Amino acid sequence: MITMKLPPFFAILLCTSPFWGNAPVTEAIWLNLPPSGTKCVSEELHNNVVVLADYVVVSDDHSSAPTISVKVSSPYGNNLHHKENATHGQFAFTTQEAGNYLACFWADAHNPSKADVSVNLDWKTGIAAKDWETVARKEKIEGVELELKKLEGAVEAIHENLLYLKSRESEMRIVSEKTNSRVAWFSIMSLGVCISVSVLQLWHLKRFFQKKKLI
Amino acid sequence: MEMKQIYVLAALLLSFVARISSLSITVNDVECVYEYVFYEGDAISGNFVVVDHDIFWGSDHPGIDFTVSSPGGNVVHNIKGTSGDKFELKAPRSGMYKFCFHNPFSTPETVSFYIHVGHIPNEHDVAKDEHLDPINVKIAELREALESVTAEQKYLRARDNRHRHTNESTRKRVIGYTVGEYILLAAVSSLQVLYIRRLFSKSVSYNRV
Repeated sequence: MITMKLPPFFAILLCTSPFWGNAPVTEAIWLNLPPSGTKCVSEELHNNVVVLADYVVVSDDHSSAPTISVKVSSPYGNNLHHKENATHGQFAFTTQEAGNYLACFWADAHNPSKADVSVNLDWKTGIAAKDWETVARKEKIEGVELELKKLEGAVEAIHENLLYLKSRESEMRIVSEKTNSRVAWFSIMSLGVCISVSVLQLWHLKRFFQKKKLI
Repeated sequence: MEMKQIYVLAALLLSFVARISSLSITVNDVECVYEYVFYEGDAISGNFVVVDHDIFWGSDHPGIDFTVSSPGGNVVHNIKGTSGDKFELKAPRSGMYKFCFHNPFSTPETVSFYIHVGHIPNEHDVAKDEHLDPINVKIAELREALESVTAEQKYLRARDNRHRHTNESTRKRVIGYTVGEYILLAAVSSLQVLYIRRLFSKSVSYNRV
């Protein structure tokens, strides 16, 4: 639990993040890192998605801010971002492979205080990571028009998501139907195997007894 | 509109968008995520889905508990024993809200969650700030509506992910258990044959088993 007074908290938020500029009201999640142990967050992303993330260590003690280490890895184990002894940082990448992307944080071992470290993580993917300032400058739009353009981008992202969900549903349907037919086939085959094994048993035993001149 | 007004407007409008993605976190016992709510009366909405990796006996798993605590410490929202749900609540005050997942069992579960805090400026804000146009209220409402669609899609995606895990597990189980069954059947019957052969070959007076 973060226990700190509001005004210095805000001051630290404003001055430690270079990302916010004039708008102090962006949202992100806070994680509480224990003095020992790693906290990881992951997201399953498909190919060609832009990821933009920003992390800040927030503490109420101005003099000795605790430091953390960050490691971001791709699904195949490639290291995308690795930083030690950091109080803030930023990383951005475009996904090359589809899968689970993992971002792990842990408090540095040689931290003065043994309290939990709070990290603010602002993780944006896809349309939320789009740089609207460049778009505004390039196309010379501003204000309401820019907001409507953002809404248009959001709607396009929704449409894309919907198509993705549709394709996943059809993939799943294929797998389900294949499993269904496999269950039917394997049950019939199991009956066949049972019958053939018992016939083999009988034939073998009959031959054995005939050889032993019992029958 | 002059430049200063544009910048203030842009800054205020930028503040209405919550940018968070659907993150996953592994819950061993209790995992908490915090989110700061800037205005009282903001609508906090979100969803979470438990993505089980190895469901062994299936629907016996009781699910996980989810609690939302206000900055004052009291529990604002509570869901018990579920494998995924949506939630929506109105923030009674501004401050740091705590969203906790509690796993009653020892097997770690991965939870995919999405939390969104949306703020729509109302008539008070419009009256107070002369740079804020009533159209911005409408745009903010539109944006919140689109965010709710996006949130629903993230929920569906997480559920689809869980469904895919279940399907893969079923497929592997069907093949594994069937091949195992055939091998076991053949082994048992050959053991039977060998035993009967042994019975008949060892005894001297073999017409008396």
